[in-house]
Amino acid sequence: MNKKEVFKLAKGFRGRAKNCIRIARERVEKALQYSYRDRRNKKRDMRSLWIERINAGTRVHGVNYGNFMHGLVKENIQLNRKVLSELSMHEPYSFKALVDVSRTAFPGNKNMTPAPKKEGLAILV
Amino acid sequence: MAMSFSCASSSFASIFTHNKSITFNFPSHSPPISTSSFLRLTAPSRLAIVPKLSQTETPSVESEAVAEALEFEPANETLAESEAKGEEVFAVVMVGGRQYIVFPGRFLYTQRLKDAKVDDKIILNKVLLVGTKTSTYIGKPVVPNAAVHAVVEEQGLDPKVVVFKYKKKKNYRRNIGHRQPNTRIRILGITGYQDSPASTLP
Repeated sequence: MNKKEVFKLAKGFRGRAKNCIRIARERVEKALQYSYRDRRNKKRDMRSLWIERINAGTRVHGVNYGNFMHGLVKENIQLNRKVLSELSMHEPYSFKALVDVSRTAFPGNKNMTPAPKKEGLAILV
Repeated sequence: MAMSFSCASSSFASIFTHNKSITFNFPSHSPPISTSSFLRLTAPSRLAIVPKLSQTETPSVESEAVAEALEFEPANETLAESEAKGEEVFAVVMVGGRQYIVFPGRFLYTQRLKDAKVDDKIILNKVLLVGTKTSTYIGKPVVPNAAVHAVVEEQGLDPKVVVFKYKKKKNYRRNIGHRQPNTRIRILGITGYQDSPASTLP
């Protein structure tokens, strides 16, 4: 790529990397390599974020993530984790219905006690 | 004024008046799309409230009149009824190998649907979950007889992604640009889910 394109891609870089072509070219090439790698990493990261959110959403109802997903698989519900995490955030009643369906399909959580509620300044700890 | 009345239904009306001459692409078993149902609702019984509604009125006036009629008479099982319900429906639909949460009146980008021209009406059959204000219909894996009606708005390309491959000390550089084809579809309504509700709120 010629210098104009390199400088366009080098906007916001630190120090001489945005102004001097020799350094900018190196940094831009590195940035493009990172973006290639991270397009693949993004899929992994998003999936783990969704799993975290689903876990949090189901633990509110006394079910942990593993048992919840096992129950959904048993009931042949094919919603993916992206949609499940969005439902857990924005559609709480639908999500509770899903948790109930999973709980009837696979009752595994007899011993789940919710974390003790912290009062007052203990919230900050 | 008509636009502030209910924006979604006015946009429906404008889409429908634009597409009045377009025939269905797919032979569908679903109930007819709202142009006929609008006229059916307004023509016979509501003449006292909506005087002289002719078929050639401008879209804004038609939507206002239709919205009034819909509030009073949600008796027909068509898209019109889901509008009268307040449009508080959402569905999870699977298109192009990916799942989306879908609301009537909004658009979304999916993988390019081949053989779909612009302004084609499309029915999406793989509906995995439908939720309304009071009940949730969970599909195992699909909600039976549920369908999401949509209109193809645009067949375009995603923004460009630069695919740059580089191996150090081996003099290997490849610089390739890539634009993935996509299709923008606008969701018209969600129908056919009124069996087997999995749970209804108290």
